[in-house]
Amino acid sequence: MTSLAFTLNGKAVELDVDPSTPLLWVIRDELAMTGTKFGCGMGLCGACTVHLNGNPIRSCSFPVQGAVGQAITTIEGLVDEQGGLHPVQEAWIEHNVPQCGYCQSGQIMSAVALLESNPQPSDADIDAAMSGNICRCGTYSKIRAAIHAAAAGVQHYDPQANKAEVAS
Amino acid sequence: MSIRRRRFIQGSAAVGGSLVLGVNLTGCGPTPLPHAASADLQPNAFLQLSPDGQITLQLHKSEMGQGTYTGMATMAAEELNMPPSMLHIEQAQFHPDFIDPDFYVMLTGGSSSIRTSFEPLRKAAASLAYLLRSAAAEQAGVDIATVMLRDGNVYIGDLEVKPASLIDRARQQELPEEVPLKAARDYRFIGKHNARLDARAKVTGQADFGLDAQYPGALSAVLVRCPHFGGSLKSFDASAALASPGVEQVLEVDGAVAVLAGNYWQARQAANKISVEWNKGPLAGVSSRALRAQRHELAKTEEGKQVEEVGEASAAVGERFEAFYDVPLLAHATMEPMNALAVASDDGIEIWSGMQGVQLALDAVERATGIERSRIRLHNHFLGGGFGRRIQNDYVVEAARIAQLSGKPVRLVWSREDDTRHDFYRPDATALMAATIDGDSISSMQIKAVAPSIFGQFLPLMTRSLLPRWLPSGIHDGIGDMAAGSDPSASEGLIHTPYNFAYKRSNYVMQDVSAPLGYWRSVGHSQNAFFMEGFIDELAHQTNKNPLDFRLANMDPESRHFAVLSKAAELADWGNPPAGQYQGLAVHESFGSVVAEVVNVSADGGRIRVHKVTCVVDCGQVINPDIVVGQMQSGINFGLTAALKGEITLEDGAVQQSNFHDYQLLRINESPEIDVHILPSTNPPSGVGEPGTPPVAPALANAIFAATGQRLRELPLRLS
Repeated sequence: MTSLAFTLNGKAVELDVDPSTPLLWVIRDELAMTGTKFGCGMGLCGACTVHLNGNPIRSCSFPVQGAVGQAITTIEGLVDEQGGLHPVQEAWIEHNVPQCGYCQSGQIMSAVALLESNPQPSDADIDAAMSGNICRCGTYSKIRAAIHAAAAGVQHYDPQANKAEVAS
Repeated sequence: MSIRRRRFIQGSAAVGGSLVLGVNLTGCGPTPLPHAASADLQPNAFLQLSPDGQITLQLHKSEMGQGTYTGMATMAAEELNMPPSMLHIEQAQFHPDFIDPDFYVMLTGGSSSIRTSFEPLRKAAASLAYLLRSAAAEQAGVDIATVMLRDGNVYIGDLEVKPASLIDRARQQELPEEVPLKAARDYRFIGKHNARLDARAKVTGQADFGLDAQYPGALSAVLVRCPHFGGSLKSFDASAALASPGVEQVLEVDGAVAVLAGNYWQARQAANKISVEWNKGPLAGVSSRALRAQRHELAKTEEGKQVEEVGEASAAVGERFEAFYDVPLLAHATMEPMNALAVASDDGIEIWSGMQGVQLALDAVERATGIERSRIRLHNHFLGGGFGRRIQNDYVVEAARIAQLSGKPVRLVWSREDDTRHDFYRPDATALMAATIDGDSISSMQIKAVAPSIFGQFLPLMTRSLLPRWLPSGIHDGIGDMAAGSDPSASEGLIHTPYNFAYKRSNYVMQDVSAPLGYWRSVGHSQNAFFMEGFIDELAHQTNKNPLDFRLANMDPESRHFAVLSKAAELADWGNPPAGQYQGLAVHESFGSVVAEVVNVSADGGRIRVHKVTCVVDCGQVINPDIVVGQMQSGINFGLTAALKGEITLEDGAVQQSNFHDYQLLRINESPEIDVHILPSTNPPSGVGEPGTPPVAPALANAIFAATGQRLRELPLRLS
């Protein structure tokens, strides 16, 4: 056991843990923060995606020692101190993206990182940035639409425009 | 008495893979209502009004993505005349009033939740509304007709009354025999409300899945299971594991080895250090390849059981045309691996997990632990995907047993590898499809489906929940054997088809060697729609007809199939795909709904690319339109995964795949544009969670034929 220190969602964290432990299990089991999900343990599905200094990483296969001295952001860290949601989260709600919802923390972390580096992504950009995140419910159409909406600015988004109507 | 209790199988009248059983539940006294608090107004099991004014809805179906959380709230809120978001929603514990009329147990599956709750849930809400209106009318000395509920308050004319102030008086009111329900024209929310009530929790990481349940001091547990189905533990050496960091205990649990440690990582690392010897059991030497060959042989040599015959065999004139179709085993691959948190104490056992079958889990834990059910408490959670997997409760029982035997609070977490290798799989199946072609028309279709039986494996589990516990277990197994030869899910989608050929016959041959089987999104329809609609397409080409025209010419022009298929063809601009793309279509009815899909595909350089899927659905009365759209998109992507990728194979009775590199799921870059249209309907609601899945594999295979001339009759689709 070694004492490790890093920043988690803007707060200093210090804990004794085997440095080879994947960051995911430090977050979930040692810190009891459950928004970050376990899906595959091999970096194949993206459910565990968090940010390391703003860049998306797969925390299930990222040893916690790599986080030492760095800034980690999880889904919980996207919400501001007043409880306000990130524009990507708002867009996700407007588009009814989540179904079972289990993969969506990871999807949103990947989407937030994408928009940080590319504020106006094309469909091809979205495919490239999001293809590491599996959604078994297949919410991909709505993920694409929500990313475009977030890019356009959620405040300009008309939720009625994309809502289904029963029509002949 | 015991003899008469055997007479409960009502034959094969099951709809949509559901189990149709008639049971005589024992005459125990009434079960206390859920959430029982003496100060609450509790007119029924579904709804409670608390003195603080909160109306609580007991969510008696599991939310696994299909939207039932929002749908149930929408239906209840409609009769309470308040926005669905005003309801407080609780995951329900078991209660007899929550038993599904299709399954005879409390269970979420078969796309039945909205359909079977539409009447009872609205009546439950209307009853609460009536009691409040009646109490207010009595209190004010006015006619009940002048009292209404709106947005959480009771109004007598303009006078606003808080519902909570009426609780005592409402208890004294009598309900009329038939509580009136709103007319469809008066709906404020049904058919209109779109916002998912669980969305905020699910985009902020706050949604509470089984894996997220917390208990002070809980250890993480992993279980090392025999990789060979039906095999057993010969011996193990845990000395290295016990020396591994963080490990608290290693113990044998019902033929597997459990490792308990401070966190999951420690438990998993230690488990990797255990050396184990297994007896391979009854499937030693069995491979998927051999099972497939056996099914082909059975199709040629066995008649099996005839499950449908329409018309006279003598009408089957002309030249015989036949083809074999095949599908493999499939895993569910929910994103949340199986897990459960269990705490055993002198008071009994308490378990937190995501379950589709709360009642089955309750009974299974009782049987496995010997702890009486009144001392077992199960807490359901959001499910990180279900698709039928969480109807089974093996993971709940495992956690219960580890907690019981170790005496420690434990969170059992399956790895992805565990999840892939220890699933209850969609059966591997074969169909020998045959038709007689008389000139340019089809005179008959004769089908022989060969598959192992989910029903035969699952029924004994069901009957243990349904029948008195003192019945010996041999009876349950006997029931399974009895039912197996007529598994309704093996033939669903092959019978009652819309095609009116002069003679139709469908037989089922049971294969009796099998991996563990389960209900996988759309169940038998998942393979049978591929068999049927692929073969229908072949028949169109055999008779030189356009696949759309051929289908329409052979079905009733007044049918829902005709309307749905016609609309899909129109919206997809059938026959005029963009340059370089080719189209295929399919129509299929499942779970009471009819869905048609047109797939646009290209196959440049041998690479299949799905560009667009146009989907039209008739699912009766719609509750939440955008959730229906989402379910169709979801079902299509699920079906595309099976069509393009999914394949579980056995070697030596063990699954060869392990994780998402060798059991791949569709990703966003492979997911097509999906255009969904809902046909308006005044029929009662029918299924939505599953019916989008069956048509897409055949529509895609048919499009690939159009693009390449290759007729692919086996999933996953592979160009030669």
